[in-house]
Amino acid sequence: MNLLEVFLPIVSFIVFSLLTIPVTNIAGGKRRKSMIMLSWFIVIFTVTSIFVANLVAEYYAQMEKEPFLNLTFSRGLNVIFSSTFMIDAVSIYMAIIFTVVSAITLLYSLFYIDAREPLSGRYYALMLLITACVIGACFSGDFLTLFIFWEASAVGSGFLMLYKESPRSIHATLKYLIMIIIASAFIVYGLSIIYGLAGTLNFWAVKQILMSLKDKHLFILSFIFMATGYAIESAIVPFHMWLPDAYTAAPASSSAFLSALVDQGSYYVLLRILVYILTPPTILDWRIVLAFLSIFSMILGNLLALIEHNIKRLIAYVCIADVGYNLIAITSVTPLGVMGNLYFFLVGGLTTALSFMTVGILNNIGIKTLGDLSGIGRKMPLTSLALLTGAFSFSGFPPFAGFFAKYLVFTAAIEAGLSWLAIVGVLTSIVQAAYFLRLVNYMFAKKTRRRGELSEPKNLLIPVFMLTIMIIFLGIYPTIILELIKPVVQQITLII
Amino acid sequence: MGNILLLVTVLPVLGAPLAYLLGKKSPRIAAFLISLICLAEIVLLFTIVPQVLNSVDHKYVESYSWIPTIYASLTFFADGISLSMAIITLVLIFTATIFSVNYMQDRRGLAEYYALLALLSAGLVGVFITSNLMLFYFCWELMLVPSYFIIGEWGYRKPYRAAFKFFIFTHAGAIFVLLGIGAIFMLTGDLDIFSAQVALMNTPPDLVMWILLSLTLGFAVKMAVVPFHMWLPDAHSEAPAPMSALLSGVIISAGAYAILRISLGTVLPSILSISFGSQFLHSLAILGVISAFFGSFIALVENDVKRIIAYSSIAHMGYVLFGLSMFPYVEAIIGAVLHLVNHAVSKGLFFLSAGSLMKQLEIRDIREMGGLANKMPITAIAGSTAALSIAGIPAFACFISEFIMFVGAFKAIKNDGFYIIPTILMLIATVLSLAYALRYIGHVFLGKSKVEEVEKEPSLMKIAMLILVVIVILLGVWPTFFVELIASVEFALLGG
Repeated sequence: MNLLEVFLPIVSFIVFSLLTIPVTNIAGGKRRKSMIMLSWFIVIFTVTSIFVANLVAEYYAQMEKEPFLNLTFSRGLNVIFSSTFMIDAVSIYMAIIFTVVSAITLLYSLFYIDAREPLSGRYYALMLLITACVIGACFSGDFLTLFIFWEASAVGSGFLMLYKESPRSIHATLKYLIMIIIASAFIVYGLSIIYGLAGTLNFWAVKQILMSLKDKHLFILSFIFMATGYAIESAIVPFHMWLPDAYTAAPASSSAFLSALVDQGSYYVLLRILVYILTPPTILDWRIVLAFLSIFSMILGNLLALIEHNIKRLIAYVCIADVGYNLIAITSVTPLGVMGNLYFFLVGGLTTALSFMTVGILNNIGIKTLGDLSGIGRKMPLTSLALLTGAFSFSGFPPFAGFFAKYLVFTAAIEAGLSWLAIVGVLTSIVQAAYFLRLVNYMFAKKTRRRGELSEPKNLLIPVFMLTIMIIFLGIYPTIILELIKPVVQQITLII
Repeated sequence: MGNILLLVTVLPVLGAPLAYLLGKKSPRIAAFLISLICLAEIVLLFTIVPQVLNSVDHKYVESYSWIPTIYASLTFFADGISLSMAIITLVLIFTATIFSVNYMQDRRGLAEYYALLALLSAGLVGVFITSNLMLFYFCWELMLVPSYFIIGEWGYRKPYRAAFKFFIFTHAGAIFVLLGIGAIFMLTGDLDIFSAQVALMNTPPDLVMWILLSLTLGFAVKMAVVPFHMWLPDAHSEAPAPMSALLSGVIISAGAYAILRISLGTVLPSILSISFGSQFLHSLAILGVISAFFGSFIALVENDVKRIIAYSSIAHMGYVLFGLSMFPYVEAIIGAVLHLVNHAVSKGLFFLSAGSLMKQLEIRDIREMGGLANKMPITAIAGSTAALSIAGIPAFACFISEFIMFVGAFKAIKNDGFYIIPTILMLIATVLSLAYALRYIGHVFLGKSKVEEVEKEPSLMKIAMLILVVIVILLGVWPTFFVELIASVEFALLGG
């Protein structure tokens, strides 16, 4: 396996993204523009998934020999200063799910964002670019490469939020960008200290050097800066303020895409840094800090959602609560926890994407608050079925996929001796069930004030139902994904 | 035929979409389909009966692979207790479905109703015939969602409010069950209730205590014993009559069954020797006595037809809990399980007759009724049979089981003086149940008629009630079948 094969998926996404703008401009004038765009996207994702599949096959062929594969630009003495790519079972898994989820959300935005609008080409191009960056971040093997890819995707996300250019979305995007800039300043500062201590930014080299570090004061300082930076980016509770504004003001397709890719990607970054690099407690015992942040996220996210009336904002608060559940698993640092995390990345992404997509459909016909939702259960049976699936999956009901995610997370916490954390998780998840049931109550129990029939947009429902079916299928038979995660569990025992 | 139990679980799941499609054309055909499925399942279960009675370990097991990574498998098993519960559940679903044909005929959306009923039956039967905790939890929650929609959509007065209460209470309980299941998995590395029991024997008791409390709390909410009973009166009285029959007949029995099978059967044996074990059993007995008195007293003063019956369910769950608290005294357990069976048919019949009253008279206050014995003879026979059985009159079903339970209680007193007072109190409580049963009969069927004209009951409603009348009397005079089936379970294996 060589660097080219790792680059192929990333580069092909970037190249296709650049080509998308002229293609959209050509298609925009034609009558059957959505068909042209659809076939263009099918081409893109066929090619990229061939590249990803090739990478997967190559990796699994030699996994036994070398589970953590480091690929560097320069050879020889300068290796530790070079930009590095690292391939292991986690990054492979993340690349697969990001490709799949990105394809489905793009299909949705294709119908949601009108291709005749002048800026739509850039919108699609940005989505592909962000996908490339997120996959690149998963493959990166040193802090700097990770930083570059990650910030690139964050900046791109800002423009996805801005698409409608309403005053609210400009305000929210500004808030987001300022937060991200603060975060990256923190991260760069932390990185500079780490570089000063270790003389390298390569993950494994840093880990080795930190393990034998005597004086930890500077390192703790750098950890505080980096943790704060990444906590801002993944909207952990004291730093969550940008998320509800941003996701509410953004078009639904952006919210779905960002919550499914960039959010889950940011949790992945946390997992990578905390569990893989800072794991042996001799380096730094960070678990108690994370446990409390997780509790804050779960409680605040769920309570804010409980009193929220705007549906889209409600889903955004659930995203914050989801960070908390992910953090439970990250904090427990067990193979089961990592398994729960990885399953949660997929399922949480699918579920938030599904919810934002259905909310987008409802927003299009003017339904914004819970009150507007009254009686929609009977008027729009398919849309409300999808929203129902999302709601039940969020609240952890079998046979929806969210159930196994929560089960694995809670069990991991018990395994790690953090039963109290699991109990807090359980109690907040009852709150979650309560407000989702309130939403269901509005859909079915209340009488609608609307007259006449409401038509459901068939083309938007195609991606929505792809997600619905995936959620139900993964809830009944999660073995497929768990088998994919299994090598990770074997590898994690090598590090912990 | 090696996969009878798989068939029993899968048939209703497959029947649900079929019932929906057929129900769109004609609800009658859908009802016919479901009752046919129930009959087929009963026949299938009866083919296992000889195997269970005659084999060495009195068990019948089937196992299929499901999610090997977390030790979840589709393990179905049947012993005497689970078979008798499953059979009686199916009998009740069968009669409730027949009853629904006439009872629900002027309501809307019957296709959905029958599809939900089929799903509910899958969950209900599944709970009784699985020994894998994950599959158990799936079925446990599968009971909840269809019940919520059936109560909410076709109930009376403010149905969604009652359904909401029901859902939140039982879901909160279920989450604690999940926590317990996760902890069992962590301690034993297995999710099978029998191998987990063996593995738990070698674990430190302090964690097992918490598991026991967490599980029992969850099950007790479903069972609606006193501190957790608040959801029951609303849900049972606002639901449509066939659903009330199932709720009161089997859904709360599932809670009692789970306490017996999992709390007492799997978890308790490992800590039975320390003092906490007997304290736990004593507190169950106290809760049972409180429930029995609380339910009976309120049933004595309540005037709403269905609320009287609902409160009597709380009282009877108190009897069952009292019986279970004498674990592992064989007679007491046989009595408790037999009481679950007998109470299920009697209470089902009671609710169906109350439904028939409400349907024909359109009033629900017993003070406005009276002298209905002449006008609605079949309903009067059904209602009186049920009331007398609930009161514990000989020749009706519930007498036998209460009698066996008290035999067990006297045996328990010989070894443990604590049980003297609860047993005396329980004997007094049976007098109370006679009082409210007679009050019910007196107000509704006897005395001067206050209602002018009453339409005749539709024929299928009559048939459904008569089937249950026959079963109640049959079980009262010839309980041998179920007693033998239940007694075939080796309680030594179940614990103690």
